[in-house]
Amino acid sequence: MTEQDKPVSEPEESAPEGATDETAQAEAPASVRPARRAPPHEEEAPPEVLNPRGQTTLGLLMQVADPYVIAHGGRDDIPWIETRAQRLTEVARRCRDHRDLDLKMLHCLLVVDYIEHLQAVYVLLSPVKGTRAILKVNVPADEPKVPSLTGLWAATDWYEREMHELFGMEFEGHPNLSPLILYEGFEGYPGLKSFPFNDYEEF
Amino acid sequence: MTTHPELETVDMMLNMGPQHPSTHGVFRMVLWIDGERIVDMEPHIGYLHRGSEKLCEGERYGQVVTLFDRLDYVSNFNNEQVFCRAVERLMDIEVPERAMYIRTILCELNRVASHLLFLGTYALDAGAMTPVLYAFRERERIQNLYEAVSGARMMHNFIRIGGIKEEVPADFVPRVRQLLGELRRGVEECDNLLTFNEVFLARTRGVGVIDADTAVSYGLTGPCLRASGLAYDVRKDHPYEIYPNVSFTVPVGEYGDCWDRYWVRVQEAYQSLNIVEQCLDQMTEGPIMPQMRRIARPPKGEVYVHGENPRGDIGVYLVSDGTDKPYRLKVRPPSYCNLTALRHMMKDAFIADAVVILGSLDIVLGEVDR
Repeated sequence: MTEQDKPVSEPEESAPEGATDETAQAEAPASVRPARRAPPHEEEAPPEVLNPRGQTTLGLLMQVADPYVIAHGGRDDIPWIETRAQRLTEVARRCRDHRDLDLKMLHCLLVVDYIEHLQAVYVLLSPVKGTRAILKVNVPADEPKVPSLTGLWAATDWYEREMHELFGMEFEGHPNLSPLILYEGFEGYPGLKSFPFNDYEEF
Repeated sequence: MTTHPELETVDMMLNMGPQHPSTHGVFRMVLWIDGERIVDMEPHIGYLHRGSEKLCEGERYGQVVTLFDRLDYVSNFNNEQVFCRAVERLMDIEVPERAMYIRTILCELNRVASHLLFLGTYALDAGAMTPVLYAFRERERIQNLYEAVSGARMMHNFIRIGGIKEEVPADFVPRVRQLLGELRRGVEECDNLLTFNEVFLARTRGVGVIDADTAVSYGLTGPCLRASGLAYDVRKDHPYEIYPNVSFTVPVGEYGDCWDRYWVRVQEAYQSLNIVEQCLDQMTEGPIMPQMRRIARPPKGEVYVHGENPRGDIGVYLVSDGTDKPYRLKVRPPSYCNLTALRHMMKDAFIADAVVILGSLDIVLGEVDR
């Protein structure tokens, strides 16, 4: 970091709507600057509401995963429950094998970087019954580790490999966590918020 | 698997792609073959990885639509729609009815265009040269309509959060009606030419079989899942927009082989034309955009929305932190999941069938790699 890269002026407290102030968020060098964002609206976010179908699904989920549920919520007919990483395999298996839930398909697996912790999100779906549910697991950012679910759904394989290389999430028990979509020799985890973003690199 | 156990044989490694005419993009697979049989295979993807999901975090919600165009570049409207639905759900926006009808007409025509492209190129994969010419001629008619509506043939950027960009041309309805007649004849022509062709049947029947349970475990959706005998269609099971108002059937295959996957797509094209016809009958005049802020700023929260793409079930998981840019956006690409099952389908198949099996999944690499 040279003298020119140092911030010229103090960043403003809140930029006006739609403004593109060059000095905003200039405290970090360009290579690690996150994308500029307008400040959020003042108004309160409306609460998430489940419809009757969602309530039923949530009831079943709670019954299935009873002692291991940390938090729950949901929107429309997609409820979510949060569980602990150690209990994930067991909860997921029960969700899959439950007769009324019948969540036989892993629809989507993703990781969200909340900076202080990472969140693995498993979207489950039943193509026969039409039920949908989401499992969430929070893991500390300095030791992101969840058990691999490759034994439950075949779809997990590629999803976990992708999330491993983009977020550095460790999936314990995965047979082959080799890189999937990034080129060989790529360093860093580009999915994370700390990864240099709006910047070009000589290649 | 060794065909002659008394002989000492070594499996041969064969590299296919990334530049190969029948991989429909930059896709590479490594095949281990024993004579004519495929012992094992490994797909390699990522040649088209542009980091779309990460790029979305740096764009305003309205601008993200352009990135969705570039995911599955042969069914752009469907992609735009699913993203806009996610933001609308988060912001609780009610889309005007006319906008929903126009969206549905464009999306269903997009489905026909995509299936026509599949029909043509799949015939090419199986060794038939003629249908691709007919299919492209028909697809061109749809592209011309898109050009008249949105000004672009492929990257439309037409569906907006809350509605659509602008009113359609004055002759839209009669033009689509005329188009429907032409397309019906066109699809029928290709259908007659190919579907029960003996050579085509011999190439595709009983090849690349996947049963329903395995398909569900691999996360197969769309025509690939329905070909295995499971009638799961998001438009029917979790109806969105105006799909509750239209009647259509969900074609289902029997054996889950390549021919079933082909057949389901052809039948779906007919169904889509029926849906468009019903939309034209039900469509009324009205506004196309609701009253809303120019810059979308969804409240804090997260939402998962999925919809039926020509290739399968496209899902969007959107996390908003209340600002004008998505905090995290994950696309569940249907082709990506369909591709996972390729290895399962190709095991013990003939090497000549590798192309036929891959073609039957109808992948678009822009979406697989993102």
